[in-house]
Amino acid sequence: MTAPVLETRDLTRRFGGLTAVDNLNLTLPSRQLHAIIGPNGAGKTTLFNLISGLLRPDAGQVFFRGREITGLPAHEISRLGIKRTLQVKSVFAQLTVAENLWITYEGSKRFLHPLRDAESDRAARERVERTLEQIGLTAMARRTAGALSYGDVALLEIGMALISNPQLLLLDEPTCGMSPAETERAVAKIREMAQTIEIIIIEHDMAVVFGIADAITVMAQGAILASGNAKQISQDERVREAYLGRPEDEDYVEEAINA
Amino acid sequence: MMDTLLLLALNGLIWGLIIALIALGLSVIFGLLDVINIAHGDFFMVGTVLAWFTLEVTGNFWLGFIVAPLIGFILGALIQRVVIQPIRGAAALSIVATFGLSLILQESVRIGFGPVPRRILPPITGTIPLFGIEYDIYRIFAAVLSVAALVAFFLFLQHTTVGTWMRAVRHDRDTAIAMGIPAKRIYILTFGIGFALAAFGGAVAAPITTVDFRGGVDILPVCFMAVIIGGLGNLPGTAAAAVLLAFFEGMIQSVADPTIARIASLVLMSAVLLLRPQGLFKGHIR
Amino acid sequence: MNGRIAIERLVLVLFAAFMLSVPWSVPALISPFWVSVITEILIWSLFAASVNLLFGYVGLLSFGQALYFGFGMYGVGIAIDQLHLTFWPAFGLGIVAAVVMALVSGVLAVRLTWHYFAIITVVFSLIFYFLAVRMKPLTGGDDGINFSMPPTFVFGRSVWSFTDATFQYFFILATVALCFYLMHRVTRSPLGKAFVAIRDNDIRAALIGINVYLTRLTAFVMAGFLAGVAGALFAFFGRYASATYMFYQVSGEGVVWAIVGGAGTLFGPVIGTTLFIVIREVVSTHWEHHSLIVGVMAILVVILAPKGLVGLWRAALDRIERGDPAASVAQTLRTEP
Repeated sequence: MTAPVLETRDLTRRFGGLTAVDNLNLTLPSRQLHAIIGPNGAGKTTLFNLISGLLRPDAGQVFFRGREITGLPAHEISRLGIKRTLQVKSVFAQLTVAENLWITYEGSKRFLHPLRDAESDRAARERVERTLEQIGLTAMARRTAGALSYGDVALLEIGMALISNPQLLLLDEPTCGMSPAETERAVAKIREMAQTIEIIIIEHDMAVVFGIADAITVMAQGAILASGNAKQISQDERVREAYLGRPEDEDYVEEAINA
Repeated sequence: MMDTLLLLALNGLIWGLIIALIALGLSVIFGLLDVINIAHGDFFMVGTVLAWFTLEVTGNFWLGFIVAPLIGFILGALIQRVVIQPIRGAAALSIVATFGLSLILQESVRIGFGPVPRRILPPITGTIPLFGIEYDIYRIFAAVLSVAALVAFFLFLQHTTVGTWMRAVRHDRDTAIAMGIPAKRIYILTFGIGFALAAFGGAVAAPITTVDFRGGVDILPVCFMAVIIGGLGNLPGTAAAAVLLAFFEGMIQSVADPTIARIASLVLMSAVLLLRPQGLFKGHIR
Repeated sequence: MNGRIAIERLVLVLFAAFMLSVPWSVPALISPFWVSVITEILIWSLFAASVNLLFGYVGLLSFGQALYFGFGMYGVGIAIDQLHLTFWPAFGLGIVAAVVMALVSGVLAVRLTWHYFAIITVVFSLIFYFLAVRMKPLTGGDDGINFSMPPTFVFGRSVWSFTDATFQYFFILATVALCFYLMHRVTRSPLGKAFVAIRDNDIRAALIGINVYLTRLTAFVMAGFLAGVAGALFAFFGRYASATYMFYQVSGEGVVWAIVGGAGTLFGPVIGTTLFIVIREVVSTHWEHHSLIVGVMAILVVILAPKGLVGLWRAALDRIERGDPAASVAQTLRTEP
């Protein structure tokens, strides 16, 4: 059996009095498009930050393909092939679209040559051109990323994910703020990428999640509330409560503990 | 030996209170306007010069405590309107602009006041016994005045409408503006108050230092230290850090010369700066 | 686009031709005194470039570059005055001293960013400023140390030395030009792109696998090298070294020159430095309060030309080539650090 693509053991992160991720044990098997959903403040983005090294856990461990990556710096984790997008679209606003892709391609290299001309690397240039075609931004290649429309920035983010040769891709609300048409394009792209890349996606839009995810984990209050396929989740009583919400917060907590 | 130590500690303490006044001005200007004010030491220097001129013209020292902050406030408001407002939101440019301002203030004083440092005699002389030593009475008075000004400033922030507005803008600019707080006027007011606090500190300090067009140059780093060690955005912390720093330097001066004391406090500050986790990636999570 | 490149190339060629002709054209047209002013501008341009490398390309505002300038200066001064070394070992010692200092202080400083970074760099430079002031036997304190100039090259009978103003000018021109060429290469290289990526968005840079800390440290050491070379050259040029050049106001001037000229551009620091030193030299012969004008200029430039003088120049070029609005937006964005 192959090791699960990602595993967390008793992962915990606190912010002051708030426990954002609480003793989380998560095993994500390989070759499945995995979605993590949950109400605001459930700890989804914190979980991504812990996996990608932007935050260090207070306790617990993270394993990528059986290898422990707990506490490694973000760039080391990225070099292992774990790439991610950020919830608030985040590209290099003052670089051009092509430069964004280029630096993402070269970024993982341990040695960045200080004197060679960046544009002299043919392999990189061709790869950038191919990626531009894939995401349909060839016409915008020389535009500054900061001047792009929101949807185009999201596409650029996906392009940056593609060009970085990810082993595991963490997508944080990739369709957030997109128009329905843009969402459709993005979903199609994600589905296509999932053929070759392990993907974990945080998503708010239930329609998107149920449409693409093979397996779904529901988080609430930093812990796992439920997990299963789309059908199981949509019928889960606790999940519906968590989403529809109850006036009393205490019930939330109780359920999270019981779960 | 004990007496010297006590004397230097007291001197440090009082100097720290004056620094606290100046550093508070620096901190509010930074907090509300995001301006790194390189000219802030010169605001203090202008205060000492205003005190000197007031004494020269009117023969009355006490008037300086009103004239210095008042003119300081007007100058500050004017500077904000003319120089800072057009470059709002660009912290790097504000460094260049206030550096230019610093040159202008120093040079103007050099023209109007002259290049030679002068001294002001304290309006009240004599000593009083304190913890077993005879201590200069004006310094005690300066301490009282500084504490009064600090208290007044905090009361102003906490208990007046304008003060509340200032805190609101500092806390969350966009929401404050959305709620109808007149941000532009608050900015002008803030810069005016920042200058006034430094100028008042200058008037208080004038008799215990020299009046010199370069008098602000040494003050500036110390104020920045206080603001950083106290924590950006933490006004009481800034005041406390200013007092502690000056006190610390005063103590070291009892065993070494002032340069060594200054080096020691700089080393201390580096340690604080490096061990503070807030320094890492602060405000960069997007 | 081609017109633009042609204009910029023409300006560059004219500039290079002028720089090469300075020892003859300037005394003929103005006065020999201005040859030494231009030499000084070259040195300080390199100093401003070191601020610019950090701020304009990596987004770290250093207020302490005078420290490395000072180390370059004292490295040369102490090597000649006290260790009795010749020209090249002294030059080397100055640069090595600055680079080592940049490495040691950079290891600590680049853990911090933005305001904290600006403060720690000024704190480090102040520590060593006060140490230099105090260690009078070694440094001469504020008075500094004067030394007599050893020859640069000796070939049998013929001796090349800075005492020959023309040789001095060309030596400094060549060194500064080499440094600017290296910086140009670096900014176009993969490393240079990583610099800009970090300036733009350091979190994202880490997430795509760039070692942000190490890259910043590399930039910091490179900037220390540039400042160190400038300091060493200035020591040779003035035949002395002094603690006053380590004070934070010197660092501040470098920041102003770089930003007024145009941060994030190769020649911005040269233009900013030239502007301020020329004003100083022209005005100070007539009026001792030239700083007043420098202050007013600094304020006017940031209000009227927030992208610096290079930004103005680029905007003018954009207008000339009939202004594709998208292109001009891109240009202005790129000069803004």
